[in-house]
Amino acid sequence: MISYVYYPGCVAQESGKELDNATKFVAKKLDINLIPMPEASCCGGGVIDGFDENLKLFINGRTLALAEKTGFDILTVCNTCTLTLSEVNEELINNKGLLDKTNEYLAKIGLRYEGRVKIKHILYAIRDDIGFDNLKKKIANSLRGVSIAPFYGCHILRPSSVVKFDDVENPQGFEELIGALGGEPLSYVRRTKCCGFQTILINETTSTSLAGNAILEAQEKKADVMVTPCPLCHLSLDTYQTVAAKSINKKLSLPIMHLPQLIGVALGGSYAEMGFSRHNISLRPVMAKIKQNRF
Amino acid sequence: MEFKVRSYRFNPEIDDKPYYKEYIVQDFPGMTVLNALMKIKAETDGTLSFRRSCRSAICGSCAMKINGISKLACKTQVSSEIEKFGMIKSNPLFNMPVVRDLIVDQEIFFDKIKKIKPYLLGQRDNEEYHRFHVLREGEKIAQPVYHKSEFQNLTGNDDAPNCILCECCYSECGGVVGNKNYLGPAALAKLYRYSEDPRDNDKNGSRLVNGSQPEGIWDCIHCQACEEFCPKGISPVKAITKLHEKAIKNSITFSKGAKHIISIAKSIGETGRLDEVKVAADTGGIAGLINDLPMAFGAGLKGKIPPIRLKLIKDMDDIRLAYKELDLEEK
Repeated sequence: MISYVYYPGCVAQESGKELDNATKFVAKKLDINLIPMPEASCCGGGVIDGFDENLKLFINGRTLALAEKTGFDILTVCNTCTLTLSEVNEELINNKGLLDKTNEYLAKIGLRYEGRVKIKHILYAIRDDIGFDNLKKKIANSLRGVSIAPFYGCHILRPSSVVKFDDVENPQGFEELIGALGGEPLSYVRRTKCCGFQTILINETTSTSLAGNAILEAQEKKADVMVTPCPLCHLSLDTYQTVAAKSINKKLSLPIMHLPQLIGVALGGSYAEMGFSRHNISLRPVMAKIKQNRF
Repeated sequence: MEFKVRSYRFNPEIDDKPYYKEYIVQDFPGMTVLNALMKIKAETDGTLSFRRSCRSAICGSCAMKINGISKLACKTQVSSEIEKFGMIKSNPLFNMPVVRDLIVDQEIFFDKIKKIKPYLLGQRDNEEYHRFHVLREGEKIAQPVYHKSEFQNLTGNDDAPNCILCECCYSECGGVVGNKNYLGPAALAKLYRYSEDPRDNDKNGSRLVNGSQPEGIWDCIHCQACEEFCPKGISPVKAITKLHEKAIKNSITFSKGAKHIISIAKSIGETGRLDEVKVAADTGGIAGLINDLPMAFGAGLKGKIPPIRLKLIKDMDDIRLAYKELDLEEK
């Protein structure tokens, strides 16, 4: 059994609880021990340095120090949390001045950070730590014949000087995982583009048109489902899909899964266990297709 | 080794629509994509059009899409592209209209650079004295001149002044894809560069106020593409983030973007978490809430509602102390 400190991020604990549930389901099936960290704070949503650069360092330095105390690496299920924690980790490891400054604050709350924690997104934790061979052994539902559009999003790939999981120009980790699950990864241009979430409350048309065009491209290429490793992308792609359709003036109806839900379904998870009823766009057609494949 | 170049071709004077033309090129050690294109132009097809000049990654002329990513052709090795993609696919930069083949119309890009006033603002006290004249015996230059490293220390401008205006960031910018009027990363990095210049005499904060208008600093979607694909190692998104921080610290908070970030900071300061409902309400105000109502109602029907009152994280006092230490409690 492999252990991680589990950092679900805010959305998976609030409007996106289905992601948290699916992650726990997958962890159980793959013998992953998720150590809860109830003291962890929000990472700042990828924008907190625009309020105060040091606040980003302090609150995330604290999360890293809390994880370091347990002796295990952090497992994330959100791209933006992954990037923010990784950015702060890099800054603290490479800049002694910033590390000392952060440790001065941490000392006051009984913590200290040495720079020993790694941040792993579940997509790449499964590839690197669990292994696709082990994953394949646990598959209960075949995804054969299901066209799956991987939507990487931004912060799991860029900047590649900080998040170093994959080749930023031509990433393959997501496709490999879909292949390992027996599904057919769809190739389309916008798989590594932005969903626009960061400005969804600031400039809705700009933001949702980005999500809308990505969905449209996958839909036109006959995707059965789009899958994302980030709950913020999921909000843009699923919750706002009706708004996105209006923004680009096209008909859109593509179901969107969180990555742990796709893995969960392949490992035998049911419609209810994956929390699909909470989605805006119905997952019933794709689930019916998967059911036909049942061994 | 022989390899294939598949180039976008379009001459609006004779072609109805764009097409791709393929060329087979023989490489030589260290061959760049620009070398390959120049070889095609010299030996195979003189009509293939592209901008180029210095061949040393300093003029920024030969920026184009190479295998889907905006790069300088002169800085891109053929061998690494072939290894990864098996061929060279060249396209014009994105987000700008095509003039011909790989040449784009840069006017819209430079209009945006002009918009941020890329020069030092303000009148100096003794304008007559500062007017250009031959230095007299023993006279020193009045305008302070900073050595590059000194300038960096003064301003924190580590990289923004190195921009060569190649448009790679602009071509990759998701914000511009979504809104063609968005100023984009190069112009906003330049805005930061000037707003931090100690010689700039922007007494009334006009740079930050103008930058905070719609289509300015708050429309960045944080996709990180500008930093990732800048051939000179500049991070416009970090410059934009510094402009955000500077605007908020100077109480220039009339824009939705500023309200958004302040609300997130406030929410973390109160609960340790990001309160989705509160942040949406604070950012968009009543108009925003009304606009989002149908979407929120639909999500609510599916049970996708965030909790109205968030549970505080454990040891919330730690976070409160961080705000106190950084003197952020009042903000």
